[in-house]
Amino acid sequence: MSETRTGPAPGDRTAIGITFGNSNSSIACTVDDKAEVIANEDGDRQIPTILSYVDGEEYYGQQAKAFLVRNPKNSVAYFRDFLGKEFKSIDPTYNHASVHPQDVDGSVAFTLKDKAGEDEAASTLSVSEISTRFLRRLVTSASEYLGQKVTSAVITIPTNFNDKQKAALVAAAKAADLEVLQLISEPVAVVLAYDARPEAEIVDKIVVVADLGGTRSDVAVVASRGGLYTILATAHDHEFVGAALDKVLINHFAKEFIKKHKIDPRENARSLAKLTAESEATKKALSLGTNASFSVESLAEGIDFQSTINRLRFETVARPVFEGFSRLVESVIKKAGLDVLDVDEVILSGGTAHTPRIASNLGNIFPASTAILSPSTSATAINPSELQARGAALQASLIQEYEAEDIAQSTHAAVTTVPHTTNAIGVISLTESGEEVFVPVVQPETAVPARRTVQVAAPKNGGDVLIKIVEGNTHIKVIKPEPKVQAANGTNSKAAKVEDDNSGEDSDDEFSDEEEEEEKREKAWKIGATLAEAAVRHVKKGAQVEVTINVNADLSVTVTAREVGAKGGVRGTLSA
Amino acid sequence: MATFVSYPLPSLPEGWSAEKDFKAVGKITADGATQRTIEPVGPHFLAHARRARHKRTFSEDDR
Ligand SMILES: Nc1ncnc2c1ncn2[C@@H]1O[C@H](COP(=O)(O)OP(=O)(O)OP(=O)(O)O)[C@@H](O)[C@H]1O
Ligand SMILES: [Mg+2]
Repeated sequence: MSETRTGPAPGDRTAIGITFGNSNSSIACTVDDKAEVIANEDGDRQIPTILSYVDGEEYYGQQAKAFLVRNPKNSVAYFRDFLGKEFKSIDPTYNHASVHPQDVDGSVAFTLKDKAGEDEAASTLSVSEISTRFLRRLVTSASEYLGQKVTSAVITIPTNFNDKQKAALVAAAKAADLEVLQLISEPVAVVLAYDARPEAEIVDKIVVVADLGGTRSDVAVVASRGGLYTILATAHDHEFVGAALDKVLINHFAKEFIKKHKIDPRENARSLAKLTAESEATKKALSLGTNASFSVESLAEGIDFQSTINRLRFETVARPVFEGFSRLVESVIKKAGLDVLDVDEVILSGGTAHTPRIASNLGNIFPASTAILSPSTSATAINPSELQARGAALQASLIQEYEAEDIAQSTHAAVTTVPHTTNAIGVISLTESGEEVFVPVVQPETAVPARRTVQVAAPKNGGDVLIKIVEGNTHIKVIKPEPKVQAANGTNSKAAKVEDDNSGEDSDDEFSDEEEEEEKREKAWKIGATLAEAAVRHVKKGAQVEVTINVNADLSVTVTAREVGAKGGVRGTLSA
Repeated sequence: MATFVSYPLPSLPEGWSAEKDFKAVGKITADGATQRTIEPVGPHFLAHARRARHKRTFSEDDR
């Protein structure tokens, strides 16, 4: 109803997608249904989430980031996660090199000089006000690029944002004259960005989204079923992050500098700020090249510093951080009750996802059949720094024509919370040797109502065909390697070793059995309970049978089967 | 959009019969399903929401 409308009418909207991160933000729009990340007036698509005030002039993005060295006391950075939070529950770790957050009536504020003039008093600004000012800058950039005023946006948020944080973000946007069409979760925006590519096929798959940012890493396991996305598990981490990789380089070069000059550049705030900025730049260079230089003018006490590092050295010193990323990904798969063999796709997202080593380490965890989508492992990967903003822009273009009330109703739990199948539902086929095999039609964790169709070969000679509808489950088959047998006297050296180990303290297995084969693990379907049997009669030789399984909202199941290209067939329903 | 499976279906066993050639054997119980939340994102979700809100089935939606 237009009388109750608070935002712009659908026809008057100009909508974009926004990611608002602690480290960086991005703005994106769609052109002919294709998402495009917008470069701001400085030419940046990753816009540092920083505001800096110099003589009353407001800077944001890359320019504000540059001011962290000279003007830290009037620069605010790493504040997004403070929105909607009580002061006592925030982690100010990353604010040491800029304005520190302070407690104002239990919530978070920053004090800085945002007005010109020596005598002007400093202002104490709430994190909401800071966010509003920053969002306003993003909206202004997008409006300038598009040539019309941006009125509305879809904004991405972490999966663990609570209602207070969401409300605070919506309010901060509103204060910047920006209507929030919808807040969508970051990993789902990422999956959408990939699924929206024209060449993408909508298939049932399990996707792991590893979003590796500057100050937080968020991983989600997403069941993608017929283009519907359900998050099965998430994990959040603040230790294994992009900033930790910067820290490794900061320490590496600081030690080199100390060796040469007996001065620790980490002890002086300004030196540390320079060291931090250059370490990040060097880290980024190592994502592309195998060598990178490190060079800071007047790093400490007027001494210039120049050095280089190669990728291998970086990967060695940063190994504990890299291992942390892998463990985080493994932990969330476990949390979802899944195995690495269940994962069809790993999408690396966020700035840190550019790092080749992270992708190659993940490649070692997953079977070869799992696609690792990152710049260094896939030629068709989308820039991981752009995924969220693209997803948000696509969603914005999908819903901008709806009334706000319609959007609210469609995103309501009554529509979104539905039963998901626990087991797979499928049909029985026969292998060459006549063994029964399970052919999945509806995958586990499929939201209902759902409809899936398969076409299965009929028996070689045609005739009457049995359609046996069953539940199915996967299990992991472990194939142990054959124990190695010593050629000469037939003694099993491994068995002898095991005896040894019982008496010894520490096993030296790893060193002695260099050639030992790894055990093989395979995913296999197990046939479960029978749900229904049906017959399709008089099928032609060499024909195919199409089986459709419809799981209805009340969990009743409708099965139809017919010979492809023929009339008739069979149809039946299982009550709920 | 259907997947194709090359392993053939079995032939109908000798003597198999059922009313209208369909025999219900089991069912999916509430235990065989978990309540979860679909993310309200993407074109396929919009289609889902439209069907849910207008109480339409897939085939009604196809028409
Ligand atoms: N090419 C690159 N190679 C390696 N790291 C990179 C590269 N580009 C950006 N990064 C790192 O990515 C991190 C920023 O990630 P992103 O842009 O996703 O930010 P964010 O989501 O705002 O982060 P957060 O909220 O976790 O602080 C920084 O640590 C940055 O140094
Ligand atoms: Mg992020």
